[in-house]
Amino acid sequence: MSQQPAPQLPDPARTPLFYQRGFRSVLTQGIYVALTAIVLAYVIASLDLREFGFGFLSEPAGFKVGNQWLVDVDGVTNSRITMYLVGVWSTLRAVLVAILLATLVGVVVGVARLSSNWLVARMAMLFVEVFRNTPLLVQIVIWYAILLVGAPVIQNVLNVGDFLFLSNRGIAIPWPVPSDGLWGAPDWFVGIWVLALIAVGAVAMRVRAKRQEHERETGRILFANRWAMGVFAAGALISFLILGVPVSIDRPVIEGTSYAEGMLVQPEFAALVLGLTMYTGAFIAEIVRGSIQALPKGQTEAANAIGLTGYQRLTLVILPQALRQMIPSVTNQFLNVNKNSSLAYAVLFDDLFRVATIVQNKAGHALEMFFVIIITYMVISFAISAVMNVLNARVTAHRI
Amino acid sequence: MHRSLLRKYGSSWRTGAIVTLVAILGALALVACTSSDEQDSAAGRGNTVQAVKDSGVLKCGVKQTQPLFGFREPDGTVSGFDVEFCKAIQAALGDGVGLELVDASDASTRFELLNDGEIDVLIRTTTITASRDRELGVDFAQTTFYTGQGFAVHADSGINATSDMGGRTICVQSGTTTEQNLADHFTDLGLDFTPLGGGDQETQDAFVAGRCDVWTADQSNLASRIGVLDNASDFVILGELISKEPLAPGVRDYDSEWKDVVNWVVHGLIAAEELGITRANVASMAANPPNTTVARLLGVSFEGGEVSTLGFDSVNAQFIQRAIAAVGNYGEIYANTVGDAVPRACSLNALASEDKSNCPPGTGGIQYALPYR
Amino acid sequence: MTQQLPAPQSQRIVLPPHRQRARRPRSVRTREWIHRNLFPSTAGTALTIVSVTFIAALTVGIVWFVFFDANWRVITDNRWLLFAGSFPHDQEWRLWAAMGFVFALIGLSYGMWSSLGRKDHLFIVLTGIAVILFMGHGGAAFWSSLWFLLSIALLFLGYVIARTIGHDRARQRSLLTRVILLRFAFDDAFSLRGGFDKTVPIQTRARAVRVALFPTRTGANRIVGGLLILALPLVLVILLAGGGASMRELDGFVLNLLLAPVGIVGGLVIAIPLAIGRASKLHAIKWTCTAYIEIVRGAPLLGWLFVALFILDDIIGGDLIIRTMVVLAVFTAAYMAEYIRGALQTLPHGQYEAAQAVGLSRGQSLRLIIMPQALRISIPPIVGQAIAIWKDTTLVTVILPLRELKGNADSAIAQSEFIPDRIEAYIFVAVAFWIVAFIMSRISQRMERAQGIGER
Repeated sequence: MSQQPAPQLPDPARTPLFYQRGFRSVLTQGIYVALTAIVLAYVIASLDLREFGFGFLSEPAGFKVGNQWLVDVDGVTNSRITMYLVGVWSTLRAVLVAILLATLVGVVVGVARLSSNWLVARMAMLFVEVFRNTPLLVQIVIWYAILLVGAPVIQNVLNVGDFLFLSNRGIAIPWPVPSDGLWGAPDWFVGIWVLALIAVGAVAMRVRAKRQEHERETGRILFANRWAMGVFAAGALISFLILGVPVSIDRPVIEGTSYAEGMLVQPEFAALVLGLTMYTGAFIAEIVRGSIQALPKGQTEAANAIGLTGYQRLTLVILPQALRQMIPSVTNQFLNVNKNSSLAYAVLFDDLFRVATIVQNKAGHALEMFFVIIITYMVISFAISAVMNVLNARVTAHRI
Repeated sequence: MHRSLLRKYGSSWRTGAIVTLVAILGALALVACTSSDEQDSAAGRGNTVQAVKDSGVLKCGVKQTQPLFGFREPDGTVSGFDVEFCKAIQAALGDGVGLELVDASDASTRFELLNDGEIDVLIRTTTITASRDRELGVDFAQTTFYTGQGFAVHADSGINATSDMGGRTICVQSGTTTEQNLADHFTDLGLDFTPLGGGDQETQDAFVAGRCDVWTADQSNLASRIGVLDNASDFVILGELISKEPLAPGVRDYDSEWKDVVNWVVHGLIAAEELGITRANVASMAANPPNTTVARLLGVSFEGGEVSTLGFDSVNAQFIQRAIAAVGNYGEIYANTVGDAVPRACSLNALASEDKSNCPPGTGGIQYALPYR
Repeated sequence: MTQQLPAPQSQRIVLPPHRQRARRPRSVRTREWIHRNLFPSTAGTALTIVSVTFIAALTVGIVWFVFFDANWRVITDNRWLLFAGSFPHDQEWRLWAAMGFVFALIGLSYGMWSSLGRKDHLFIVLTGIAVILFMGHGGAAFWSSLWFLLSIALLFLGYVIARTIGHDRARQRSLLTRVILLRFAFDDAFSLRGGFDKTVPIQTRARAVRVALFPTRTGANRIVGGLLILALPLVLVILLAGGGASMRELDGFVLNLLLAPVGIVGGLVIAIPLAIGRASKLHAIKWTCTAYIEIVRGAPLLGWLFVALFILDDIIGGDLIIRTMVVLAVFTAAYMAEYIRGALQTLPHGQYEAAQAVGLSRGQSLRLIIMPQALRISIPPIVGQAIAIWKDTTLVTVILPLRELKGNADSAIAQSEFIPDRIEAYIFVAVAFWIVAFIMSRISQRMERAQGIGER
């Protein structure tokens, strides 16, 4: 606050009450809130709340959902809320994978749009124009149709060295699974290995921090990252030697008309993730382009002047700075991925929205299910925002 | 209010909090005051017969993607077995009532459409079940079509019965009774399966493309859809049925009069077949009824006697006659829409009174009209 | 505001002779361009080769699909279904009348506030040809093609009329002036003596008639602006009034084209007070506006359409299409409000202070100083949101019993002969949406340029 003397105001005691700012403020808000309250009251009164309650969610589901991964729920004995949580788990998987892939696609295409190679820049522009200006719903159903019709049926499965299988029932890839330890220890032994890895990781991070601090103090280059990676590799090797091989790689096999073992990426999941990735990737590409273009031209010139290669210029100078500017917009796009994942409804993917409508169709209670849906999406959105805020704080911690 | 207090807190967050709190309390008070009469009016959904007559439009929820039952044609119109019953009810309500065919293809939202008044009657291959009757607030009229849950497989798959389906991928429409039957049946068999659930059309496409080994739905649905495919011979519909699926028109609970009209239009069309009244001869039959039963059904006097209205005053006694004149009797509707795609002879949908001597043992019709008197 | 200065002609910079370079021949320039843009280095050349291979493969694939593999009869046989669905056939003229009206209005607005470049002409002609080829393909669509051609002709007519008026520098013209001008043009023609005065050139007469009958530029601005505001109600009147279609018979692409503008315009109307409210100093108002924006933005549109279907009927009732329109507007408003708020925040605080200093009230300063600038800044994101809502109109098919273009494409591929042709049908839908979205983004670019956004 400044130390200047306060300007001479008219004596509040002599101003009529109606013209006082405080009174005005309270009056306006009072009227506004009263009107809002009346509208709210009308809304609540219009709703049919006679059977409002969430008890129906604990009744047996009576249906089974597909595309389960790491869970096995049959639906006859499990409750509706369990089925809903299976749907939430499916949504989370799709959203997470789509966010990672969309970021990758977005950065690559965004940089490509600014490429000095005319063809590459034009191709990137075409990509953005096509995927950004067509409805996501249609994109997803097109991907699904292409996967169903384009991929071979399981009888003619495409077998890549008994390692990867491709058919219109999905792509099966090898996947690590827990197995017995060196001394024939049981499954839970894997947990100890994971704990050991976490401990080693913590030690490595500590080493890195120490060396970085030292680096800052002395100005000598101490290769903090390389040291940390070395420590982690050594620790992992030692724990691996002591605890044996607690993880084995499962190769997919075909049993009849199904895949067994390995990990299966189903075409429904693939279509949803492809759609979300391309659509969101096109938007992120525009954000990346805008952020790079907003940088002063001197940055590129300076990078060239000190003799960085094109790749170094991009990864060391341009992208780190552009990142600061693009994180808020990119966060918005991530939130959109979360919301747009509800379009799984158009393909045969049992995400939370579809499971919710099935439950609603069996039990009624549209209003309650609506609350459940909205709150779930908001919680996921909140989690994404929280992670991105942490990232944003880290990126903008040092002022340039 | 004290002026210094006002100056101090005029636009601070505390004022906001207090004002908001007061508002919420006020809203709750208002709700408490108004909710009692609101809920009373919500209990009785009113009189649909009168409402339809007043608005001049009957809103009938039908499928738009199932050949033979409810299907959208290239010119935008919808036709099929279920649609004929919509037209019959429209005709029964009298002149000046138009028909609006609302898309109820999505199985997951159909009952809400009914409950929210988006449609007045749901005629969309919907199975009568206790939970729908009770929990979802749907009232069902007479069954229009009897079928059961069947299975279609690829001809070269080597699957002959549900016991062969362990571990297979099964396409099933979400939000249907078939979805639940499937889970129950495989639990009983002690077999595991992978469901692939979604919309009606999507599941068919997935099955045809070979995404799933088995496609389950009402057997009539399977027959009607596979029958029209170019490569129909690549698929086999198994004889095994795992459930009873009586498909019936649904109306809202607590509207007895409307349910009676819908119910007796269906019975009336079946009765017309039993009595030999057709679309072609209904006018002459009405002019000169051969017996009292026909006269009562058509709502005309028999040899100068009184007309029996049976209390159907709101639609007047000739409502069944109008329905028959509009779409024909039950047999005609069946022949004109479903036809030979799902053979009627010796199926459950044949009249109970049909000659069963040519039918295999254990088959034969059960469709018959309740007495209209 | 005083008389507007004529826009400065773009000036060519003329370098002094010793800095001028000889213009090299075209072939050299082309070669240089190719070298610089395609083969700058080994890595660049490799990239070009990879790209060329990819583009070639893609082109071959697309050509093979479009001309040899695809069965476009799924579209042409279902033209009516896709376009208008259950719209009554005998009321078809209403659709064409509405289309002509909208096209003419687009032409007028373009002529009034912008100009059609060479690319725009090419785009219109190419789209027109594509549409007519589609309509002509395998069916008696003579009248439809004619109607469509007429609509395009109306577009150009509107454009030409607006351009003509645009040359008129007069601000207003009294009725008396107009009468005098008309008398000048025709007086002698009706006089008993001598008839036509052949010494007055016919062009002069035509010009007099035109000036007498046409509105001035200011007047035309008002007329076209008014028509734009009234466009949506007018189109609805053309389609529905006096024995037209019922609300529920709005179907197919027509439904998309009606839902989106309602969502956009309605959204903007709600968004402006919402944005002001969110920036308000009064906590109760600020909190409720913030809550509204955050809650609406927190859940997917599909969830809100669920509300239109299941919950809103208890609250506001009305036809489902009306409720869907309300939900679309309410949904769009939350996003647009955020953009407008962002623009309000970027305005220098001096603008508020200056408005206060010249003695404007809060309402006046918002209306005259703040909002015009904030809206101008937020044009790009608002148009982005408009395009988003345009694409999102496909979602009404997903859980609502409304059938828009994508829903009717689903119906088309349910026909037994077209079951294998789903990719064709969906690609057609995607292209149809793309064209409109493309036009919207072009208009947005025009508006940005016309408003000088980013230049200030």
